[in-house]
Amino acid sequence: MEKLQLENLTNEQIAFQLILHSGNARSKVIQSLREYRGGKREEAEQLLKEAEADLSVAHHIHFQLVQKEANREKTEFSLLLMHAEDHLMSTLSMKELVKELIELLKERNL
Amino acid sequence: MKMKRILLACSSGMSTSLLVTKMQEYAKSIGDEVEIWAVGQDQAKKEMERADVVLIGPQMSFLKGELQKEAEKYGIPVDVIDMMAYGMADGKKAYEQALTLMGEK
Repeated sequence: MEKLQLENLTNEQIAFQLILHSGNARSKVIQSLREYRGGKREEAEQLLKEAEADLSVAHHIHFQLVQKEANREKTEFSLLLMHAEDHLMSTLSMKELVKELIELLKERNL
Repeated sequence: MKMKRILLACSSGMSTSLLVTKMQEYAKSIGDEVEIWAVGQDQAKKEMERADVVLIGPQMSFLKGELQKEAEKYGIPVDVIDMMAYGMADGKKAYEQALTLMGEK
């Protein structure tokens, strides 16, 4: 998936892009577990892979913001940005857990 | 013209709230009479009774099927907000998507 550059985006759009890509990932992570429950292992793994690709786009946005700040270029703080970061971080941990969970279930042949 | 009622649903109702404001501003600018509001995912099923169309955030797209089933009771369309519209917080585009779903465009 194409990495997103922040230069042409407003602060608001940056937050929405974060939520969009994390949000797409979140949906796919949950869908992945549901597919697994329905016996569709390959679909489940495919969805998890796609979720990881979405997350990497979102994480790249986050990374650029952190880099900017490291270069002493402050990003304006807003509740919306905090909310967007929340989306990313909670989806990252959700993805890790679901990935482990699916491995665990596979090992036990469940 | 009939008032258009558009419901936006996302996990917490926060990100879509801003989109709601932008959609309202655009609708007003073209003289449309609208009621647009945002709710979190728990409220979506309860609130859709009052809506003509339901748009859901990307983080909720896994619930589309479930919400569609509920929406069938009221005969209203449900769809995920267009990714470009959402990612750019584009109120005009999201509003036009709602109109298209309602069959008014």
